[in-house]
Amino acid sequence: MGSLLNPIQRWVWRDPVRRGHRLLRFAEVEADGGRDLARAAELTADPKLRRLYLRHAQDEQRHAEIFRRRGTELLRAHRQEGEPAWQPDWLAPGERGLDDVSVEAGGDGPLLAFLHLSEAAAARGFVTYREAVGDDRETRIVFATILKDEEFHMTYTRHELARVSPRKQGWLLWKARFGRLWKGYLRLAVAIAGVMGAVILTLQYFILLPPFAWGAKRAAKRETEGWRSVAPKSGDLKAQY
Amino acid sequence: MKILGLSAFYHDSAAALLIDGLPVAAVQEERLSRRKNDATFPLAAVEYCLDEAGLEPDDLDAIVFYERPMLKFERVLTTALRTFPRSWRSFPHAMKNMLGEKAWVRGVISSRLGVSGRKILFTEHHQSHAAAAFLTMPTDRAAILTADGVGEWATLTVGTGERGPGGTSINIDREIRFPHSLGMLYSTFTAYLGFAVNEGEYKVMGLASYGEPNMADQVRRLIPRTADGAFRLDLDYFEFHSSAKRSFSDRFVQLFGPPRNRYEPIDLATAEGKRFADCAASVQLVLEDILVDLTRDLHERTRLPDLCLGGGVALNGVANARILRESGFERLFVPPAPGDAGCALGAALFADRIHFGNPDRDFPDHPFWGPVPDDQALARIAGEDRFPVETIEDERLIEETVADLSSGRIVGWMEGRCEFGPRALGHRSLLAAPHDSATRDRLNRDIKYREEFRPFAPIVPAEDAETYFELPPGGCRLARFMSGVFPVRPEWRDRLAAITHVDGTARLQTIERGFAPRLYDLLKAYGRASGIPVLLNTSFNLAGEPIVCTAQEGYSTFRRSGVDLLIVGNTRVRKRARAAAAAAQAEELV
Repeated sequence: MGSLLNPIQRWVWRDPVRRGHRLLRFAEVEADGGRDLARAAELTADPKLRRLYLRHAQDEQRHAEIFRRRGTELLRAHRQEGEPAWQPDWLAPGERGLDDVSVEAGGDGPLLAFLHLSEAAAARGFVTYREAVGDDRETRIVFATILKDEEFHMTYTRHELARVSPRKQGWLLWKARFGRLWKGYLRLAVAIAGVMGAVILTLQYFILLPPFAWGAKRAAKRETEGWRSVAPKSGDLKAQY
Repeated sequence: MKILGLSAFYHDSAAALLIDGLPVAAVQEERLSRRKNDATFPLAAVEYCLDEAGLEPDDLDAIVFYERPMLKFERVLTTALRTFPRSWRSFPHAMKNMLGEKAWVRGVISSRLGVSGRKILFTEHHQSHAAAAFLTMPTDRAAILTADGVGEWATLTVGTGERGPGGTSINIDREIRFPHSLGMLYSTFTAYLGFAVNEGEYKVMGLASYGEPNMADQVRRLIPRTADGAFRLDLDYFEFHSSAKRSFSDRFVQLFGPPRNRYEPIDLATAEGKRFADCAASVQLVLEDILVDLTRDLHERTRLPDLCLGGGVALNGVANARILRESGFERLFVPPAPGDAGCALGAALFADRIHFGNPDRDFPDHPFWGPVPDDQALARIAGEDRFPVETIEDERLIEETVADLSSGRIVGWMEGRCEFGPRALGHRSLLAAPHDSATRDRLNRDIKYREEFRPFAPIVPAEDAETYFELPPGGCRLARFMSGVFPVRPEWRDRLAAITHVDGTARLQTIERGFAPRLYDLLKAYGRASGIPVLLNTSFNLAGEPIVCTAQEGYSTFRRSGVDLLIVGNTRVRKRARAAAAAAQAEELV
């Protein structure tokens, strides 16, 4: 699937302004991921995991800084007002990809399984992006640097999963895979429902609203500017309006 | 009577519990969920409040939501109609947004808490602000002004409040309505300057000190005054009412130049950076001028000595200080949580005193209504990670902390219940020596990871404040919850370089011993050692995170930043020496 998208990725990453914005988006996702891992460290009762999560959180924070610096450099070098018209965020908005981490629920086993899969997906993504940026040496170095850390993250999450859930590790990994797929489906469904809702509401806007809009505009003209007197309130708090 | 107040769904959701007219617990959801400005239904905050009192939802007599959802829906729909057809893009977004949870609040509360819908009440948004501003403050009669972006329709209200044995009343007699809004004006500039709306407004205030208000006339074109002394927004310059994407229009950009790219750091040495600072200074000046005018008029009308200020605009400490100096009011009260989170408490108070007519009670004059950190937990986790951890008596703790602060160390200080409101007022603070600007730079670089132009606040015993700061009459009271910005006396600016802003001011907090006894003792001891009983006090959090609440969160922040030592109650943890730290880290990750 990933290789099928390679030509699209190359096209997406070709434009330096879009590249800059994507790196800045990655920076935000990495910073969010760092906060999630810090939260995991605060909640776990396992001292070793706490230390590893904290180290991981600091790595993510550092990655955020690396992405932000390079993204800003690219945008500064190719000044352009505003953001590019089309941002292909849905392709992979950073390493959390199709999923959101749920730190509070489930405990360490499911979280480690989730993190392992996320890191693996991120590593695959970053390899693709590293190739897609072509002759942009600095951005290639950024991805190469971060990939080294991703390898460590993949390794430790797998080892620790085997340690904390020796009997259920396979099941937890499958469950995490299904969880990612399910959430991916939910996102897609929500996106489609959102588009459908927007179309229906837009149609209603143009078909049903014009007479009301005419009335509302006329009423607005009659409104005075400045202070409005407020009638004494009854103190009844039952109504929502 | 047991009354739960709630605010939710826009920004800073919170819950507050009153029992027999007095607060038992109040906390913002973000402190428990760890998502900054969390606006979701505050279930964790509700659970905390109920647990603190040992109650079940069924035990509550009333649950009060801080605004009237259907009135808000009416405003959103009417605004879309008035801006037809320009609002065609924002209309689907606004409707989907409103018709999710926001329009069905009674049902949401009822199903989440498992209580009857009959127990659920609704105050108006600005009634909640007014109650939070007046009923939590030590005054029996006061003028009240509330101002924010927008509630249902009102954006700014004025009135009076009265309380005593004869009952409590809050009479809001005049208001200015959406889209004409001081809060929206300031937020539009916040967005224009590349900061997050509802969060970055204080950055605009900090940046303003670096600029000249040489664009004030242009800003005044955006907000002409009306004949009756109020104001209106010239909507040709704004798009917040018709667009979900941008709050300022092309005409606004023609007037002020291109907006700042939010990813570009502000370089004040460049013309572009200076222009942004000038913009910030100009909108700040215009905001202050209007607020001073409005409060002067309110003082003339009411002839009352006290003014209570509520709403998000009341977080503007520079404007507050000018109001105190120039409006004619003798005392200005700003609660510790004047924004929407504080409305949870305000709504509960309004229902208790006015709807149910319960007798007035003296409200405790502090903001500490949240969870207590567990110092035993800190001792355990720091011990597991082989950090030097000690539990020591108050006297020695204070003596040694003074020595640490004097050596330039940065201290994470957690004690007692966490603050309700956006500011760390001594229970969840980072403390440092205030003398050297290098400390400020280190805090910005290694801990807070934030812009260089943002100042740090000082904390000082109330009786010593006038020695170091130029406080007008009533200034000490305004500084109780860090709500005013005042000049540092020129002769002390060099020795208070870390907390003196570029314009020679500081947003200080004054404390009395009863407010936070150990912190007060620390300040006094630091004063004896250094000659100046002032410390730098900033919120204990990292960029993008809420202020820490539990010991575990304090520890996590301590580990991920350049904080040198962490004190939770009487337990202290220090950073390991560099070589030992490297060896320990290598060992612990095997």
